[in-house]
Amino acid sequence: MNLILVFEQMLNGLQFGVMLFLMAAGLTLVFGIMNLVNLAHGSLYMVGAYLTVAAVQWTGSYPLGVLLGLIGTLVVGMLVEVIALRTLYERDHLDQVLATFGLILFFNELIAILWGRAALYTSLPTYLQGFIEIIPGSIYPVYRALVIGVGLLVGAVLWYVVAKTRLGMLIRAGASNRIMVAALGVNIRLLYTVVFGFGAALAGLAGLMAGPIYAVQPGMGELILIQVFVVIVIGGIGSIRGAFVGSLIVGMVDTLGRAFLKPLLGAFISPPAAEAAGPALASMLIYLLMALVLAVRPEGLFPAKSG
Amino acid sequence: MAEAILEARGLRKSFGALVATDGVDLDLREGETHAIIGPNGAGKTTLISQLAGNLRPDAGSIRFSGGDVTRLSAPQRAKKGFARSFQITSIYRDFTALDNVALAVQAHAGHNFRFWRPARAEPALRDPARTVLEEVGLGARADVLAANLAHGEQRQLEVAMALATRPRLLLLDEPVAGMGLEESQRMVAFLSSLKGRHTMILVEHDMDAVFTLADRISVLVYGRIIASGAPQDVRANPEVRRAYLGEDA
Amino acid sequence: MGARTLILAVCVLLLAAVPALATLLGQLYYIDLLRRVMIFAIAAASLNLILGYGGLVSFGHAAYLGVGAYSVGILAFYGVHNGWLQWAVAIAASALVALVIGAISVRTRGIYFIMITLAFTQMLYYLGVSVEEYGGDDGMRLKVKSQFSGLVDLDDPVAFYYLVLALLLVVIYLVHRLVNSRFGMVLRAAKSNEARSRAIGFSPYPYQLVAFVISGAICGLAGALLANQTSYIAPAFMDWTRSGEIMFMVILGGMGTAPGPALGAFALLIVEDLLAGWTQHWQIILGPLLVLCVLFFRRGLAGLLPGGARHG
Repeated sequence: MNLILVFEQMLNGLQFGVMLFLMAAGLTLVFGIMNLVNLAHGSLYMVGAYLTVAAVQWTGSYPLGVLLGLIGTLVVGMLVEVIALRTLYERDHLDQVLATFGLILFFNELIAILWGRAALYTSLPTYLQGFIEIIPGSIYPVYRALVIGVGLLVGAVLWYVVAKTRLGMLIRAGASNRIMVAALGVNIRLLYTVVFGFGAALAGLAGLMAGPIYAVQPGMGELILIQVFVVIVIGGIGSIRGAFVGSLIVGMVDTLGRAFLKPLLGAFISPPAAEAAGPALASMLIYLLMALVLAVRPEGLFPAKSG
Repeated sequence: MAEAILEARGLRKSFGALVATDGVDLDLREGETHAIIGPNGAGKTTLISQLAGNLRPDAGSIRFSGGDVTRLSAPQRAKKGFARSFQITSIYRDFTALDNVALAVQAHAGHNFRFWRPARAEPALRDPARTVLEEVGLGARADVLAANLAHGEQRQLEVAMALATRPRLLLLDEPVAGMGLEESQRMVAFLSSLKGRHTMILVEHDMDAVFTLADRISVLVYGRIIASGAPQDVRANPEVRRAYLGEDA
Repeated sequence: MGARTLILAVCVLLLAAVPALATLLGQLYYIDLLRRVMIFAIAAASLNLILGYGGLVSFGHAAYLGVGAYSVGILAFYGVHNGWLQWAVAIAASALVALVIGAISVRTRGIYFIMITLAFTQMLYYLGVSVEEYGGDDGMRLKVKSQFSGLVDLDDPVAFYYLVLALLLVVIYLVHRLVNSRFGMVLRAAKSNEARSRAIGFSPYPYQLVAFVISGAICGLAGALLANQTSYIAPAFMDWTRSGEIMFMVILGGMGTAPGPALGAFALLIVEDLLAGWTQHWQIILGPLLVLCVLFFRRGLAGLLPGGARHG
């Protein structure tokens, strides 16, 4: 295998990693601040993807469609919080898991009714369809490079907001002391709704960016959601930094494993055996990694109390 | 003077920048009741937690009846005869009072990988449990769900569970906290009846209880023991009066 | 106690009468449906052991359903049709998988435990998808059902039905004995108050792990039954929604109660069947129904029975 191929696959790993991060960041914020386990986070990812596909078709403009898709997901997220999830903050994790499981069934079916069960594909505007040369001799799709850029940018902004701003201060304080924040005259219910909507928008962003790369179909959210769980277990829950590092590790390991495990195994065992074992092992790789991390550090790599 | 049953040396525990226990030495003789007092935030509960094995000290050692127990977990120490009550009542709320105590008996009745015979029908567990409940004065409440007991009764139940493990060392974290006057007097009288039969460490804010029960007192301030000795000596110690009782000496 | 036992006895008698009634009414479909319900009731009862009594929120119980089913399927694939052997392997393999998953996950708590059990089940799902030899994504047919030396013929729907009913009752009784034994008391105590347990000398981990393994083994048996029920084995058995459904059965029926899981399995699958007969988009009704149940129906069905569980 040549180095350029490895480099390209590493970029793909990075691209998958930043998408995982957008999901993980929202999930971990909502858990860290509201102590809510939201399985339906994957549904918001799916909603983001579908709303954007629809909005792009409707407006005929990709940027406008993306904007509408993001705003739409934000609104859907806030609605879900106000209607269903708000009452769950005081419940135990079991209740939260079951109720949000119910929401997933609802969303998947709703999407299937509105758009059907078949996969949709987003068409990109021509200026996003090209390739760029990142290192000499290697061309890389502009769109995927854009995804990486957006992901890293959002990560930086997120870190700034949580660590440096008044809103971030409120968020971190809200996590550790709800009553005090309420006493400061901050409407904590509104704060929670905003944070949840914000997390939803991040999931929506991941979903709409996933659209042109993967299939847009009902149930797409849960496939990535479970991988995001692996990210969070590895990174440590409640920590943005843990989510970031965990995402990149999982993104890389999964992508590189799928690309190179089979040829790598082929060097050691017979090609037919590698042919059979390669894909099986590659699909299990991130879970085995999770098991390994848990065996060594049960709290994840970056256990955090908040932020 | 009897051999020390518990020897803590140089115990140190910090949480970030806060040093909760700062080089604490503590000796306990068999059969004595040793009270630890100190203002709020002095590190009393942190100290008890290290002795009981719920917290691992950053430095220092704990020896119990001649053996090093510093690295043993709470359940392992319980097996060696440590028994603890918590500052905030810790019982099995969804079991009856008798079940609670029977579980404590069971914890020290050997083999627990028994899958078939109903534990509630084992006289070997129920009879000793009933005896201990009678002893603490909860005999009539045996079949009441622990959650439905009055606060004072729950505190009694917790002590009963500790006793049911036939402990060699009782660690009691504010046993009369939150009790009414009468309840608290009854608890103090009961603990008095245990004196001499059990070795006890008592963390308590209620000075009446402390001076009634303690053979020796250690005063903990900002994670350090500033005085230790017989009650009348500690009471007279000017440093204690200044630091703890808030008096200008 | 009396009224409760009576109602449950009537339920069992009704279940026992189903084949006769269904034959009489010419509705053989119901034999099939209720057999399926009872198989899931076994799975739910196994989950109830660790969830209801142990407080371990496993979101991955479909894994053992899958391991049990694939054990039967793979043995049959290689021409081994002996049911005793197949089911023993199903139980042993599930126990082994539970031992590995449990050894890692039981050390963790709360949300971690939920995510880890879910993730490992997803791993097994992908394993099933990627092994082409056994049908990959499409799964494999079970051409010959498990053979029991002529003792029970699983191709006879009624005989199979009674076998499942008997196994369900055995499992419920087994779990009942287990949770009231010394072992079970330790398990339940750790759920009730772990700090207290540790303070009196119980280290919960080995007990929870053993319970996790027993639970996996029982669920593996349900998997072996399910393979015979559908004559078909697919990775979809291990789909994460399946785990969610089994969990919901336990909660709906009343966790930590003996009849709860069976009641929950019955209610959920019958409702699903009715909704599915009415619209293909039945999940859009079921989803919000689940949410409402969680919000407003915490006691579970078993709590409605006279002398209902005093569980909080």
